[in-house]
Amino acid sequence: MPRASLTSALCYRDPKAALKWLEAAFGFELVMLIEDNDGNLAHSEMSFGDSLVMIGAEWTEKHKSPASIDGFNTQSVHIHLDGDIDAHCERARAAGAEILMEPADQFYGDRTYRCRDLEGHFWTVGAPIRAVSVEEAEAASGLKVVKGWA
Amino acid sequence: MSSKVLVALRIKAPPLRVFEVFTADIGAWWRPNPLFSFTPRSPGVLAFERTGEGTRLVERLSSGKVFEIGPVRIWDPGRRLVFGWRQASFAPGMDTEVDVRFEPVDDETRVTVEHRGWDTVPIEHVARHRFPDAVFLQRHAEWWRALLTSLASQAAMDVQERAKEGDA
Repeated sequence: MPRASLTSALCYRDPKAALKWLEAAFGFELVMLIEDNDGNLAHSEMSFGDSLVMIGAEWTEKHKSPASIDGFNTQSVHIHLDGDIDAHCERARAAGAEILMEPADQFYGDRTYRCRDLEGHFWTVGAPIRAVSVEEAEAASGLKVVKGWA
Repeated sequence: MSSKVLVALRIKAPPLRVFEVFTADIGAWWRPNPLFSFTPRSPGVLAFERTGEGTRLVERLSSGKVFEIGPVRIWDPGRRLVFGWRQASFAPGMDTEVDVRFEPVDDETRVTVEHRGWDTVPIEHVARHRFPDAVFLQRHAEWWRALLTSLASQAAMDVQERAKEGDA
C-alpha cells in the first residue's frame, strides 16, 4: 500500500484495548504491531481505505489521551467513508461509541455523524451523498466559499 | 514469548493459494536483508524441504551447505503456518518463532505474520547490530512488510498465469 503523506498518531492509556475497539467500531485493520520485552505496545498501525492511523501509548509527559486530561481534545480525525454511513454509525454504537451527533445530511453534500471513543477521542465520519454547487452551498450556509470547491 | 512484531497485509488470492505460494515459492518471493542474514555466507535460497509438520525451513547456500532456519511446528494449509527461526549466531536458548495466519476477508486473504521471542536474544547480541530494542523491532517489522508485499506480487503473478492457462 502506498503511504499517504499525512498520518495521524493517537495516544491511548490502553492502546491494546484501543486496537480491538477501533476494529470493532470502525472496521479498522491492524497492519503493524510491535511489542517490547515486557509485552507493552511500542508501535502500531491500523489501515482503513487508503490511509493509516498510528495507535500508541502516552509516550511522553506531554502526550496524553483525553482520558487523562479531563476529556479535552486538541485535534480529531475525520473518517471519509464510501458506503452506508447509518450502518457504520450503528456498528460504532454497538461497539460502545458514544454518539454525539446522529447521522445527518449536511449542506455541503455529505451525511455525517460524530462520536466519542473509549478514551474520549472525538471522531467525525462523513460520506458523500449528493453533489452541491458553490451557489447552493453559499445560499444554504451563509458562508463565502473562498477557495477549493470542486 | 514476548518482544514481537506483527505485520498484516491483504492479498488478492484465496487463502489456500496464498499458503501454497508462501510455502512452495518462498525461494522466489523472499527478499534477503543484509541486516538480518541467517549465516555469514547468506544469502542463499530459502525452501521448505517437504510439506507438512515435521519438515523444516532451510536456506540452501551457494557452497552447497544447508542451514536449518527452523522446524515447522504447525502446517495447516490455507489457515496457519508456524515455524522456528534461528540465525547461525544464536546461542543455545535463543529462539524465535514465526506464526503466519491466512484468513479470508471478502474475496481476498488477510495474511498476518507474528514474529515473536526476540526477548530470548539479548540486546547486546550481534544479531541486533547495537540497535536499541525499539529500532531493531521497527526495522524487522518493516522488512516483514516488504516481504509480504513481495509475496502479494508473487501471488498476483501466479493468479494471472493460471488465468492464462485457463484461456489456452
